[in-house]
Amino acid sequence: MSHGKDSLPPIIRLQYRSGDLIIKEGDYGISIYKILRGRVGIYSQSGDTEVKLATLGPGQVVGEMTFLGRAKERRSASARALEDVEVEVWHPERLAREYEEMPPILKYIANQALKRLVRMNKLLTKLSARKEAAKREAGRGRVEPGESQRQFYRKEIDRPFEYRPLDGPSHVTLTGQVKDISLGGVGAVVSSRNTKVFPHERGEEVRLHLVLPDGKEIEGRAKIVSIRRDKTPGRVFLGLNFTDMTYESKKRLGFFLMP
Amino acid sequence: MIEDHLLLGYIASEETYEDRTVIIEEGSKGEWIFVVLEGRVKVKKKTEKGKVTLDTLKEGDIFGEMVLLEQRKGVRTASVVADGRVRVGVLDTQRVVRDYESLSPQLKDLIRTLIVRLKETTARVSAMAAGAD
Repeated sequence: MSHGKDSLPPIIRLQYRSGDLIIKEGDYGISIYKILRGRVGIYSQSGDTEVKLATLGPGQVVGEMTFLGRAKERRSASARALEDVEVEVWHPERLAREYEEMPPILKYIANQALKRLVRMNKLLTKLSARKEAAKREAGRGRVEPGESQRQFYRKEIDRPFEYRPLDGPSHVTLTGQVKDISLGGVGAVVSSRNTKVFPHERGEEVRLHLVLPDGKEIEGRAKIVSIRRDKTPGRVFLGLNFTDMTYESKKRLGFFLMP
Repeated sequence: MIEDHLLLGYIASEETYEDRTVIIEEGSKGEWIFVVLEGRVKVKKKTEKGKVTLDTLKEGDIFGEMVLLEQRKGVRTASVVADGRVRVGVLDTQRVVRDYESLSPQLKDLIRTLIVRLKETTARVSAMAAGAD
């Protein structure tokens, strides 16, 4: 073995704990990981639904799609450790050279398989999202036990609130005004400038915080279900559905909404 | 027409199929890799609710490449059916396999993963399209 001839970075190994994100969808990165130990889930985000595209195990490779489709370097899906995982990180340069020297017929076949996999992933994501929506539709109107005897109303209020993207840093906190609230969600008016800070799109999930007129705090997660221009120029009206709320917040809100 | 010289060098023979002729039958054995030279083919998979069309391939598209995963005992994972009159090229599969075997372990891993994922994703899509998933 000659020394110094190969100046490429060495192959390194990394360990991940169950639940750790190995690759984040949308990120830039072209490293390739070979799984040595453990299982890895591949996920794609479609609106508000996360679709599991595949489960990979030892011997299989993660990140090959970005490597092969080098034109666009954003990760097309996330990879998460499903248990304790060890991977070998291949620097793309090392492989790129070998790839270039590969018989053209195999490059052709690899690109064909990649193209079809991209199509199948899109189809899978679409079908999953549709199924998810059908499930939600079927679940609507179902009342949680204990709440059935009580009636909750949508109340009009005018209270400031704070919100930020679910995975965003805490300093990206935006404000707006809640105009109505129910146990299901809120209607709020925000400055259209806010939409330049992060995309305000249907399905986008946010953390929100507000103080009700009775002084009680509400904290939870909600997703944007509608966006429309407000009557006042420069403002947009957001429809937000609660997706998660602490038990305490739910109780406070329930109390506030009681007729 | 395919102008790609790299492909032409690998085409061992050509075959023409009439509309709706089954070129590859799911579940059967076969070790050929094909390329569509003229026309279109449909990729179909059996489900509980009958056959579902999963993809349409056109000129230049390859099918049967899954034989690279398990040569010799390769069982076809989907059917491929002519969509109108179609002319296909049969690749010199042995040569393709030899080329594949000559690759570095990393590249082999990479290509194998890609094909396995394509195979599994296709199976899931067909299950979901049939409402079984």
